[in-house]
Amino acid sequence: MPELYLRLLDRILTPVLLILTLFLLLRGHNLPGGGFIAGLMAAAAFQLQILSRGEVVVRRQVGRYLHPGIGIGLLMAVSAGIAGVLDTGFFVGLWFDIPLGPLGHLEIGTPVIFDLGVFAVVVCVVTSFLLGLNAVAEGVDA
Amino acid sequence: MTQLILALTVGILFACGAYLVMRRGQIKLILGLGLLSHGVNLLLFGSGRLTLGQPPIFADKQNFLADLARGRLADPLPQALILTAIVISFGITAFVIVLVNRRHTITNSDVVQGELVPLLVEGDPFGAEIREGYGYDWLAYEVDEVYERGQMDARGSRVSPDEDESAALEREGYDQR
Amino acid sequence: MNPNLLAAPIALPLFVAALLLALSRWGGRQRIGLQRWLAAVTLTVVLVVALALAQFTLGGQRLVLQMGGWQAPFGITLIADGLTAILLTLTALVALAVLPFAIATIDLHRERMAFYPLFLVLVMGVNGAFLTGDFFNLYVFFEVLLMASFVLLTIGGQPAQTHSGIRYVVLNLLGSLVFLAAAGIAYGTLGTLNMAHMAQRLDAAPMAVRALLAGMLLVAFGSKAALFPLFFWLPSSYHTPPPAVTALFGGLLTKVGVYTIFRSFTLFFPDLLAAWQPLLLGIAGATMLIGSLGAMAQPTVRRVLSFHIISHVGFMLMGLGVALNGEKLAVGFGLSAAILYMAHHMLVKTGLILAGGAVEIEMGGDRLQSIGGLVGRRPLLALLFFLSAISLAGIPPFSGFIGKLTLLQITLDSRHWTVAGVSIVASVLTLINVMRLWQEAFWGKYEHPGRLTPWLLDAPVRRWLVLGPIGALLLLSLGLGLFGERFFQMTTTAAQQALDRTGYIAAVHPVQPESVAGPAETGGHD
Repeated sequence: MPELYLRLLDRILTPVLLILTLFLLLRGHNLPGGGFIAGLMAAAAFQLQILSRGEVVVRRQVGRYLHPGIGIGLLMAVSAGIAGVLDTGFFVGLWFDIPLGPLGHLEIGTPVIFDLGVFAVVVCVVTSFLLGLNAVAEGVDA
Repeated sequence: MTQLILALTVGILFACGAYLVMRRGQIKLILGLGLLSHGVNLLLFGSGRLTLGQPPIFADKQNFLADLARGRLADPLPQALILTAIVISFGITAFVIVLVNRRHTITNSDVVQGELVPLLVEGDPFGAEIREGYGYDWLAYEVDEVYERGQMDARGSRVSPDEDESAALEREGYDQR
Repeated sequence: MNPNLLAAPIALPLFVAALLLALSRWGGRQRIGLQRWLAAVTLTVVLVVALALAQFTLGGQRLVLQMGGWQAPFGITLIADGLTAILLTLTALVALAVLPFAIATIDLHRERMAFYPLFLVLVMGVNGAFLTGDFFNLYVFFEVLLMASFVLLTIGGQPAQTHSGIRYVVLNLLGSLVFLAAAGIAYGTLGTLNMAHMAQRLDAAPMAVRALLAGMLLVAFGSKAALFPLFFWLPSSYHTPPPAVTALFGGLLTKVGVYTIFRSFTLFFPDLLAAWQPLLLGIAGATMLIGSLGAMAQPTVRRVLSFHIISHVGFMLMGLGVALNGEKLAVGFGLSAAILYMAHHMLVKTGLILAGGAVEIEMGGDRLQSIGGLVGRRPLLALLFFLSAISLAGIPPFSGFIGKLTLLQITLDSRHWTVAGVSIVASVLTLINVMRLWQEAFWGKYEHPGRLTPWLLDAPVRRWLVLGPIGALLLLSLGLGLFGERFFQMTTTAAQQALDRTGYIAAVHPVQPESVAGPAETGGHD
């Protein structure tokens, strides 16, 4: 069901949604936001693509990356937990302070990796659900 | 007052959900499950103290004990619990929708009709009728699709489980519209 | 002992499941062979960890891990005592036995739809539910294992699977909602969700709160454990997926419900164990009787075996009901017998469902009327099925005998004549049922030779992948029966640990949160 207006609109809306996704993902550490919400937002961008260009096209482009995406996201999240064992205990957060020269310094830790993993899992799971539901709605395949 | 409204809302959500779950239509079933999980989420929300218009964050990290004492702070734990519960019920609801969709494509109707009929025939210990293929549906796939296509070699191991996925996709005909 | 070991039965299967998913289509390949090997290695490692934990905890100690380094009521606690360690070991054994059978019988289509990752996630959820010491975390692990089981049940998408899948998902979701509501009420009234902390505060809680919580938990966990009025989801869904999946479910899922009932009643409501004894024993008796009577009317092998699961859950609950009784026998004897029965049931039931599945695949169906004559064609399978069946029914050299004997001893000792009588009737009915299966499936003449698909046991590798696990489980059952004395001592240690609430609370050691004079309990702003 490719829609002409949506196809024009999604050239603008998809980048906006993806930037918003990135913003929510990075902001989520101390403020409302985070991996889950960012993942849903990114899945909304995929749904926009599905609506505008049809389920078949989107599936052909991203379909084969969804399962590995779930796996890699889970791997990142679990690794963030296991990394704590190296220090003191399971799921203990580790923090690194990386100096960036004139830009100041970046404090980054395992919770960020966990959040990224959650993001990947949510994007892939929700997108695969959406693809399945749209396939039924379009009558492509049951 | 706020608490009364919250409690009434939870009760109404539970009642409507329970009613809808017991209907025959599958869409009503999904809606009912949604209402029930919303009711439980609201119940969880009410399990922390109700504070109006307060964030679950310490506004002032130095004087948080004073904030805590004056109740100028929402309990963050129920919110975290609700978030988890929402994620889980979201996943399960999506799964139920997919299942109902599939069932719809099988039976071409979203109303459960005559579920008792096949059960009676199948579950009748004295009936002599054997309905081919009903009791072992899962096997029908195995026998027809895998075995008879000759994908099994003589020793019983399957030939080439590592089939190229992109080739499989091509075969299934995902061509550009 | 390093407490981080407690995370291994949860983190390792999840990690490997993620690895399998990540590798699954990388470069357009599935790597099914690699998936099988990795799953087997993972389960073996989990078994070794569980055995180490069992060796440690059955010395009478508990192992506690505060995740993330947060103190008890604030963070999530993992705790292993004897009961947990025994169940972890059994879970790993059951999973390891089902895996070769699954490798031999699951079709390629299902394997490509992430069967092995889901298998591992299910094991991870079960392990997590056994290990966790946090009430909400228990809910999360329940949902993890249920999600995995939903997909395993419906994977392949046959019409019967879809029908039963909807029933299973909806009924389990309703049970989970009751559990979640109970968690909300627990937090609202007790202000904590750490199980040790909850147990501490429940002592001072009013009776209404305790009774409400106990009732909701009994409903929620009872629906997971398929107790008497809430068992309908089980026999209407367990016969539709492939037999390997049914064996895994039958071995693990209801037992998680039974474990949570054991844990919550011994830890939270030990007084209700006495006050609600008629209720518990009544449910147990009804469950036993309904399960074995229902099995009489079932027309297929797997439906009969599904009803037997229900019947046996009743036996376990009967052990809990008399956990605090004992005149000549020690207090805790009942719980100990229940744990031993659980061990017997997990091993034998899995083996019997696997054997029934082999029959089903061998004959192309498992309707009792249309199968028969297997004893001449497959003597080894017939022997294994027969021995598993009499072990389930409770004939002496096997573990069923000692399990039923100890349970009967304690019910007679505590003078619960009715429920003891019901349990004997249920045992006899079980014997009749399994002999009916044996007679119908293995003796007689087969009348539909055209429908045979005799591929399963002809290939040598496949034959041993199918028969090996059944034989191994049978040997374990025989060992459990022959060395019953020693195993009973272990379960007694575990039962006494489970009944020792103060020890549990002291091991978790919840710190008291800094007390702040909060607003009044009504707390409204209107």
